Amino acid sequence: MFKLMELEWRKLKQKMVISEMIIYLGILMFLPVFFIKMVMADFGQNYSVVIQLIVSIQLGFVLFGASLINQVFIEEYKNKTISLSFGYPISRKKLVMAKILFISLAVFLCTLVSFVLTGLATYLIDQVFDIINGQPTAADFAAYFSKMIVHSFITALISLIPLFFFGIWKRATIPTVICAIFLMQFQNFSSLINITLDPALVNAVLCLLGFVSVYLSIKMIDKVGDI
Amino acid sequence: MMDYVVQTNGLTKTVKGITLVSNVNLHIKKGEIYGFLGQNGAGKTTIMKMLTGLLIPSKGEILLFGKKLTETNKSGLKRVGSIIEYPIFFEHLTAMENLELHCEYLGYYDKKAITQALELVHLKGIEDKVVKDFSLGMKQRLGIVRAIITKPELIILDEPTNGLDPIGIKDMRDLIRMLNKEYGITFLLSSHILGEIEQIVDRVGVIQNGKLVNEVSLAEIRKQRADYIEIVTPDADRTAYLLEHELRISNMKIVGDRRVRIYDVTQSQSEITKILILHDIEIEEIQKHTSTLEDYFYRQIHGGEIIV
Repeated sequence: MFKLMELEWRKLKQKMVISEMIIYLGILMFLPVFFIKMVMADFGQNYSVVIQLIVSIQLGFVLFGASLINQVFIEEYKNKTISLSFGYPISRKKLVMAKILFISLAVFLCTLVSFVLTGLATYLIDQVFDIINGQPTAADFAAYFSKMIVHSFITALISLIPLFFFGIWKRATIPTVICAIFLMQFQNFSSLINITLDPALVNAVLCLLGFVSVYLSIKMIDKVGDI
Repeated sequence: MMDYVVQTNGLTKTVKGITLVSNVNLHIKKGEIYGFLGQNGAGKTTIMKMLTGLLIPSKGEILLFGKKLTETNKSGLKRVGSIIEYPIFFEHLTAMENLELHCEYLGYYDKKAITQALELVHLKGIEDKVVKDFSLGMKQRLGIVRAIITKPELIILDEPTNGLDPIGIKDMRDLIRMLNKEYGITFLLSSHILGEIEQIVDRVGVIQNGKLVNEVSLAEIRKQRADYIEIVTPDADRTAYLLEHELRISNMKIVGDRRVRIYDVTQSQSEITKILILHDIEIEEIQKHTSTLEDYFYRQIHGGEIIV
């Protein structure tokens, strides 16, 4: 399976993917500080609030996931290069599994790295410009570390929600991207229309949807995956 | 039991209620060059796609090298090379990167094989070029390289001469013949140029409206060939009468009201002409016809009658 995942990486326009990754990391790294300084100073009241802000910002990688769905699935269908894979003595289910694992691993690792970089950048900038009240406690560090792992996993799973319907079935790039934007802004949208949702519950439902999308993608590939 | 490389039983493909291929029972023997004949949309490519795992059959079974090809057991495809419709590549990658990817997917790690295959198709020196800069002809050749690189026992080529210039077409034909004779590779080919197929295939399968109408060897077709002398005259009945009584020709038939066909081609055309002129029969045309694979194909497609 790792070999198949590596081959997925080799098929991609690597420079483009790496550039995209760097742009995401660069923007998200400074976004919390920018947000506290320019948009809402309330987020700077202490480190535990900043952590919440960083966690919600990292959902931006759902969009990166959509970009990978586009390149790994939709483009391969459009260019018919997926027919090359289907012609190899490997079952479609296994091929799709390798693609999904590749996307989810990429999103998971990027989100993880982004958490580290954003945390470091926010802390260091705060040390120089003093934009957050107080200093992080040991409990903040522990919470940040655990949220980093859990939310990277959640982001990876949420990023796969558009996979089955828009990626494999409809093979449509723009709806995939719109769906990703909607998912990463879902919590903001709900607060805009004055609906208070439990973030943990929202994450659980979105993760479930991501899981269902992955399940259907693998299960239905023989039926909807023809070229 | 016959040693079939490819055998299908009741192979059927239906998409959105439309039957593209219906109940096809195909038999391709080891070491032969088998050609698909059929009009556009007859179902040739759909069958080839099913044989290479690109489409999953709606009904029926495919046996590759005697083993059933299913989604869970595609091991037979390890021994198959193919180009279906047109050669597809990762256009942003170089030729070498594409070929290496192919080998990796098949678990084939002989670096020399890539160089050898490139040499065989006269494509040396293009390894580091990006495929998107290739002409269609070059892509076709690169597709052949990819198809033969892992030394498969069966090669399936859908319209292999598409995009090739006349020299390229001849090279392709020679290459297929060479691979077949020297390495014993079995070929399944399709081409809409019947003359091209006729020059290399051992057997043909005629596909019409998604059905395999007939499988026959070229030798058999040659045996059945109805070569004939055709006379075009306004007085076909009297011509037939004279030929029968003056020249004792009985193996002939009147086609339409102006044509007489004599299937005994040993008859001298000058003798026939002389007799007819002596009896004041007007001859518009007299010509010897040799039927081709094209004629056979038309006879099959149009229910046994050559369209005149």
